[in-house]
Amino acid sequence: MGLSARLGARAHPDVYTGTVTISTLAEADDRVVAGRAADGDPKAFEVLVRRYSGLMRVYARSILGSNDEVEDVVQESFVTAWKQLESLKDPGAIKSWLMRIVSRRSIDRLRRRREHDDIDEHDRPTREDTSPPRIAETRALTSALGTALATLPPAQRRCWLLREVAEYSYREIALDLEIPETTVRGLISRARTNIVREMQAWR
Amino acid sequence: MRTPTPHPAPDAGATDALNPENLDGHTIEELSAYFDAERTPTNFSIESSPGCQIALNALGRLRELTERDLETQAAAEPAPPDGWVQSIMDRIALEAQAGRGIPISHPLPTAHLAMSEGVVRGLIRAAGDSIPEIIVGRCVLDGDVTTAGQPITITVDISVAWGENLLQAAERARNVIHRQLLKHTELNISAIHITVQDVRFARLQRAEVDQS
Repeated sequence: MGLSARLGARAHPDVYTGTVTISTLAEADDRVVAGRAADGDPKAFEVLVRRYSGLMRVYARSILGSNDEVEDVVQESFVTAWKQLESLKDPGAIKSWLMRIVSRRSIDRLRRRREHDDIDEHDRPTREDTSPPRIAETRALTSALGTALATLPPAQRRCWLLREVAEYSYREIALDLEIPETTVRGLISRARTNIVREMQAWR
Repeated sequence: MRTPTPHPAPDAGATDALNPENLDGHTIEELSAYFDAERTPTNFSIESSPGCQIALNALGRLRELTERDLETQAAAEPAPPDGWVQSIMDRIALEAQAGRGIPISHPLPTAHLAMSEGVVRGLIRAAGDSIPEIIVGRCVLDGDVTTAGQPITITVDISVAWGENLLQAAERARNVIHRQLLKHTELNISAIHITVQDVRFARLQRAEVDQS
């Protein structure tokens, strides 16, 4: 009967993180913090949670069109991120990588809400949607862009956000939203036209 | 008080950067897709049209504005409550990323001991972090760590506080990491490469505040 042991599986958390404090870690840039988190340091990961949860909330809220599920979506996104972090090739690209995860999670929620019909009716006017009053409440309507976004039909807004913020290709958007690529191309073009016009109206 | 028109007239006229009439026969959809393809392959008809150039510039400005606007909104978000952060940390706590198993020799031939790669990285971090101006980032162990005695190359990213001599900081990090690994592991280390990935300012500023 052999003796078998493996150090590490239940090692004390300090083994992974050492004695450096979170506020010291927070001084380092994304490449260092995300690289360290990818190596399994929970403290470094906590720095990422504090650094990016605000941006992820704003973004998820824009995609979902309401505040309801935002906290859950962002939490789930971070748990997913931790599990997949080892596969992150470029720690300096952590921000867009996190945005892609929160995109995917938000879209999963939309799907669960059974909003297929809504997405199929690409250009349904926003005022029929139940969400804009909520958006107006939750989003700081201080910017012309925020206002322009809030008036977009949901399908235009989503496609445009996925393209512009999460840097999805048209093909990826088409696959995730289950709509044809040509439709994605048209929705993004119309979203841009509408946003630019709306913002010109603010001048 | 000025109230913006929520829905401007469809014909916004010559000031409209995306007015299809100014695009020399091209469509907004075509330009929008061309913009997303990073203007490759080059479309000479689009590139030589002043109206199309104005439209492409408008799309570029919108992209920049979007990023700034999201950052501004994110900065205005309240800091996440500690309890909310903690619930994420609790959920990830059970999933330690141990990595490969690194054998440790034992006089008993039937004994098989191993140290996980995650623990070795933890040792490297703790060693590097023990130098006040250094924070260790990613550590990569190249080579077959699962076979005892195989040569291993270690690459470590570090952040160094502003004002420190980078070469000396890297050398100190290399020495302390090497010492700790010799002490705690049986790795056959052929090289330790240190990359300074980041020079950070905050710590120096704090030191100045402390002195004043």
